[in-house]
Order: sequence, then structure tokens, then C-alpha cells
Amino acid sequence: MNDLGYILSTDHLDVGYESRTVIRNVDIQALKGQTICLLGPNGAGKSTILRTLTGMLSPVNGCVYIEKNDVRRMKSADRAKKLAVVLTEKLNLNMTSAYEVAAMGRTPYTGFFGRLTDEDKEIIEECLRTVGAWELRDRDYRSLSDGEKQKVMIARALAQRPELIVLDEPTSHLDIKHKIEVVRILNKLAIETGLTVILALHDIDIAVKFCQIVLLVKDGKIVAQGRPEDIVRRDTVDELYGIEEGAFYDSILGSVEICNEANPEIFVMAGAGCGIPVYRLVSRLGFGIATGILAQNDIDYVVASAMKLTAVSTRSFQPIREEEIRQAQQCMERCRFVIDTGFPVGQENRENAKLLRQAVGRGKRIFSLRDPKDSAEICGQNANIVHVSSMAELSGRLQGELA
Amino acid sequence: MKNVPKMRTAINYVFLFCILLGGLFLIFLLNVGVGSANISVRDIFQILAGKVSVTDSRYLIIYRIRIPRALASAAGGAALAVAGFLLQTFFANPIVEPYVLGISSGSSLFVGLVLLGGITFGARSVSPMFLFAGAFFGAMLVMVIVIIAARKVKSIITLLIIGMMAGYVCSAATSIMTAFAERESLQMFTMWSMGSFAGFTWSQVGLLYAIVFPMIFLAFLLAKPLNALNLGDRYAESMGINVRLVRYALILISSVLTAVVTAFAGPVSFIGLAVPHICRIAFNTADSRILIPAAAIGGGLMAGFCDFTARNIMSPVELPLGAITAVIGAPLVVYLLMKRGDL
Repeated sequence: MNDLGYILSTDHLDVGYESRTVIRNVDIQALKGQTICLLGPNGAGKSTILRTLTGMLSPVNGCVYIEKNDVRRMKSADRAKKLAVVLTEKLNLNMTSAYEVAAMGRTPYTGFFGRLTDEDKEIIEECLRTVGAWELRDRDYRSLSDGEKQKVMIARALAQRPELIVLDEPTSHLDIKHKIEVVRILNKLAIETGLTVILALHDIDIAVKFCQIVLLVKDGKIVAQGRPEDIVRRDTVDELYGIEEGAFYDSILGSVEICNEANPEIFVMAGAGCGIPVYRLVSRLGFGIATGILAQNDIDYVVASAMKLTAVSTRSFQPIREEEIRQAQQCMERCRFVIDTGFPVGQENRENAKLLRQAVGRGKRIFSLRDPKDSAEICGQNANIVHVSSMAELSGRLQGELA
Repeated sequence: MKNVPKMRTAINYVFLFCILLGGLFLIFLLNVGVGSANISVRDIFQILAGKVSVTDSRYLIIYRIRIPRALASAAGGAALAVAGFLLQTFFANPIVEPYVLGISSGSSLFVGLVLLGGITFGARSVSPMFLFAGAFFGAMLVMVIVIIAARKVKSIITLLIIGMMAGYVCSAATSIMTAFAERESLQMFTMWSMGSFAGFTWSQVGLLYAIVFPMIFLAFLLAKPLNALNLGDRYAESMGINVRLVRYALILISSVLTAVVTAFAGPVSFIGLAVPHICRIAFNTADSRILIPAAAIGGGLMAGFCDFTARNIMSPVELPLGAITAVIGAPLVVYLLMKRGDL
């Protein structure tokens, strides 16, 4: 069937429940040490695929192979030595320590009464240490946090000494610290021990940054499949999650930004990343934003365009042109306020400093995050600028203006 | 198995088992020695050693009445406690037991059919095997209904209510039957239905032990898959356990255990519920390898204690066993329900 050494492969696989097909033509060929991620909205059928891959659900059509064996025909004890799972369901465990939960992973290897040998104990300790849960070993499983529980469940799966681990939404319900920890553990295992990882996720940013192969699952179809860099683009993600209005996925940063298409009331002078927090803050307060003048290779521009702000821009690595200056002036003229984000001024964006001086000259109301001394250097000593020292203060000032 | 204090845990287990066994032995001696005629421990040993004439009244009391009864209560309690433990694992829920799920009521109905119907239709006496067959059939019937319902409904509360309702229907059918029964057989049935270990003959005790011991042993053999089942069906399956097979075995064993006790001692409540819990808390573990033997010994101990109380607390009047087990068991159920907020 497969000579390429796939750990898991599928052959004309349709998955679903009984005769009702949910997803057709699932084509997954997993090599040793690969991380493969199913990405898609809730209810797209990711869990159905995973359950079929692990042999818990019989395929509607086709076959799943673990190495060269049909997963449905394998003896369950043999399968348990190749394949371990981490599910979404919550465990109802009483009077059981974290160590005992991890030790359950040795079930396929232990004898009739499940007695642990010294070798078993070594493996359990190693697995708990790998996930950083060895210190939790004597704690009652029920008393652990969600993140700690998840780590213990992964240790339990690893104690099966599998070649393939399948995880269903392993990071949902976890705080950011544990999300990252879980992903790092899996990544490390894939690289260092050649463990193959197949998982379902709905965090796009984590999937893109961590997985080698991504399958986009939507409405009963696998809409795209391949390296995340190739297939996870703005259009595919927006379509995948049905994001039509209000938010936008940015493929460079791998994150979702909230759109702000309101009529610009505030002109934000930005550059070199100084603008991003201000955009988000001002958007939250409900003001429309215009920003400029930004080079198109500036991080502020990337975010501003993901947020669909009105942005005056210049092409990458090119000096600012007359035309762009005029545009910026017009934009600024229409805005009620100007915010100076304290962007660094240099050779290429001197025009921005000039623009700021013009704003002062035209009597615009200006809020500045810049140090007053530096501000004086750019705009002169007596410029009418309201200096704010923090984002909180800026937020307060803007709300004051609103009222 | 908790890693650091491992030795201490092992010593704890041995200590607790010693207490349980000691308690079981003590309650056995009390049940044999105490009653309307008190017999000293020395006399008991002399009688057991065969040094007393077979015509001595003490010999007759002990051999004909008290020893069979004490032995029956020990085995009956063990059977109920282990059945309760298995059902709690099966439903992944701490408040199920044969009586709560209506399994005992199913047994009662068919025992009633056998007892009332048999005698009404002219049979002179009922063979113990026949009684057991009826009880087993009734237990399986309710069990199957509850299991079919369990596939449809996920809520344990709903499931319990279905079990209870099945139990009520069985009780209703039983009481309709009693309306038509003859007075003589009715009294016998009424006595039986209140639950009692009284009146066990040696042949019944023999049958009880012949069924209970192999079943508890079988349950003990299932300890490893039962432990895996604590993580839920899917995890158990992913770790190489044949979940279906284990589940069938669980149904069979717990039904047989419930049926055999119900057939001879009537429906006895709460032992199956309380004992596994007390053991879990005392041993501080969920490990079936420990809990099955612990529940068996603890069940025997508790049944013996309840029977002792029923016989002696209002002596010479003997209270129904079900009253004693309920008085002890019901508050425990309430306590468990209140402690577990996540039902």
C-alpha cells in the first residue's frame, strides 16, 4: 500500500456517521515527525475526521492505514502501542492522582492485573517530566487547572509510547501560557523523537506558526491543504471562518484584526510600530482613523491595512513623494484631532515631521505620546500640543473630547 | 501508587484490610453468639470444634439458625457491595446501585411470580434454583431497559428516574399480583419483600456461596479494564481495552449478584451504594484492584452489622433489614448528592 514509510495514510476516505457522509475525500499522508493540523470553524467535521483516523469511527468509504495495517482491523492492544489520543471530553475522576492518570497510559503494556514494572515507572516519570508535570504527580487530578490536566493527559498518551498522537482541540479552554506550552511540547516531541502529531485546532495563529501541514476544513469539504505559508492566506481564512465583516485575517502576522471603516475623525501619525497600539485604542473608543505617511514595508501599514484604515502610504524603500504629502494634508485637514504616536524621525520620513509642524501651524488639536523635549525639537518651544504620558491618559483625553 | 509515600500507602492498605477482616470476624461471632439465647465465644468454639452433643439446644440454635444466617448475610452483603461498585463504574456515577436502578424491584416482581404464582397454582414448595432463575430474569429485564435508555439519554438524573420508574412499574405489578394471591403465600412473600437473612437453609447458603464467590472473583479479574474505564469509554478503547466485552461482563456479573441476593434475602437497599463509597474514602483510591476486595469484605461486614442491629435492637421483636440499611444508607446518599455539585 505505502512504501514511503507513512505512519498514517488514507485511501479514498469518506468520513461520516453510519451512511451519512460528512466529509469526502480526506487525503492525509503523515510522515514520521510531521505535525498536521485540521483547521476550521466549529462543527466543520474536524472531530469526525480525527475519530475516523483513530479507528473509533468506521469510515463511510475507503480506509485508514496505520503503517501498513487497516486501523479498523488492528487488534486494539496493538493499535494502542502505535496510536494515542487526547480527546476533548472531560474526565470524571475521583480519588486519582495525576501520576495514576499518566500511569494508565501503560495499559497496553502491563500484564493481566495492570501491575507496573520498574521499566513502566521509568517511562511514566520520563513522560511526566517531558510535559513538565512531574511536580504535579501527587496532586488529585480533579484539583488541577485545565492546562495542567491537559499536560497530564498528554503525558498519559506519551506513556503509550506511540508513534502517532492525535489530539482534538488540545488548546481550547487553556490560557495563553498553557496554550503555548502544549504546542511547544508537541513541537519538541515531533522534532526530537520523530513523533507524528495530528491535531484539530481553531486557533489560526497557533496552527500557522506550529504546523507543517494544514488542512482547511469547511462545510463538509477540505477546501485547501498544504504548507501553511501556501494556503493560509487572507482570502482562504476569511472564507474558512465566514468572516465577511468586522474582522480581517492578516497572513504576515498570522493574526486577526478588527476592522474599523468608520469615517476618519482622528489622524494618527505613525511609523515603525508606534501606531499599532494607538489604532487599536482609538478603534475601541469608536473613532474612525486616518494614518500616514507610512512606507508599505512598515509594520504599522500592515496592521492599518488589515484593519481597513484610511492609510496614506509610500512604496517600500522609496522616499515620500509630493503627491502623498498632499494626500496626507487633505486627510489631516478633514480630521478633528491629530495624534503623534512618537514615531522615530529619520531620513526617509522627514516629511512626517514637516506634516506635524503644519498641523501645529493650522491650529489642529494635537495629542502627543512623544517626550515633550523631543516634541519641542520638532515643532518648536511654544507649540500647542497636549502631551500624554501613557495610553491610559490618551484614552481618557479622547473620551473627554467626546463628552 | 502515589509515588513518594508509596510504602506508607501499601502499609495503609494492609492495615485497612486487617481492620475489615477483623470486623467481619467479630460481627460473625456476634451474630452467632448474641440473640434470645446468648452463647459465649468459648462455647461457640467448642461447638464448632464438635465437642458439644448434637442434641444440645445451643448446638441446634447455632447450626440450624445462626451460622447459616451469619454466613448468608456476609455473602449477601459482599454481593450487593460488589454489584454496586460495578454499576457505579458502568454508569460513571457514584449514586447508582441495584436498588436505586430498580433492578431489585425487577427481581422482586419475578420472585413474586414464582412464590405467589407457584404456590397458588398448587406447587407445594419452591426450589431455590427456580427462585434464583426468576430473580435473575427480573434483574436482567430492568437492567436491559435502563441500558437501552442510557443510550438515548445522557443525563444521569433522567437515567435514575427511568430506573426508578421501571422499579415502580414492577412494584405495581407485584402488588396487583398480591391482591390475587392466597393468604398463606402472601404472608411468606410479604416477609420476604421486607428483606431478611433469616431462615436460610444450608442448601440455600451453599447455592449463595457457589454463585457469589465465582462472580466476585470474575469481577476482580476485570480490575484492569475497570480502571481504564474510569477514564471513559473512548480513552479505554484507545488504550486497547475491549470496552463492549467488559460492559457485557459488567451487566452480567452485577445482575447475577443482585439476583442471587434478592432471590433469598429479598430486596436489600443501600448496601450496594454506601459500601463502595466508604471504601473509596477509607482507602483514598479509585483502583478497582483494591476496591473490589475491599467492597466485598466491607459489604459482608455492613450486612452483618445491619442484620445484627435488626435482630437485637428491639429484641425480642425483629426489625425488617431494609429499615436498618435505609436508615444508615439514605443520609449518606443525601450527603453524596450535596457534596457532588456536578451531577
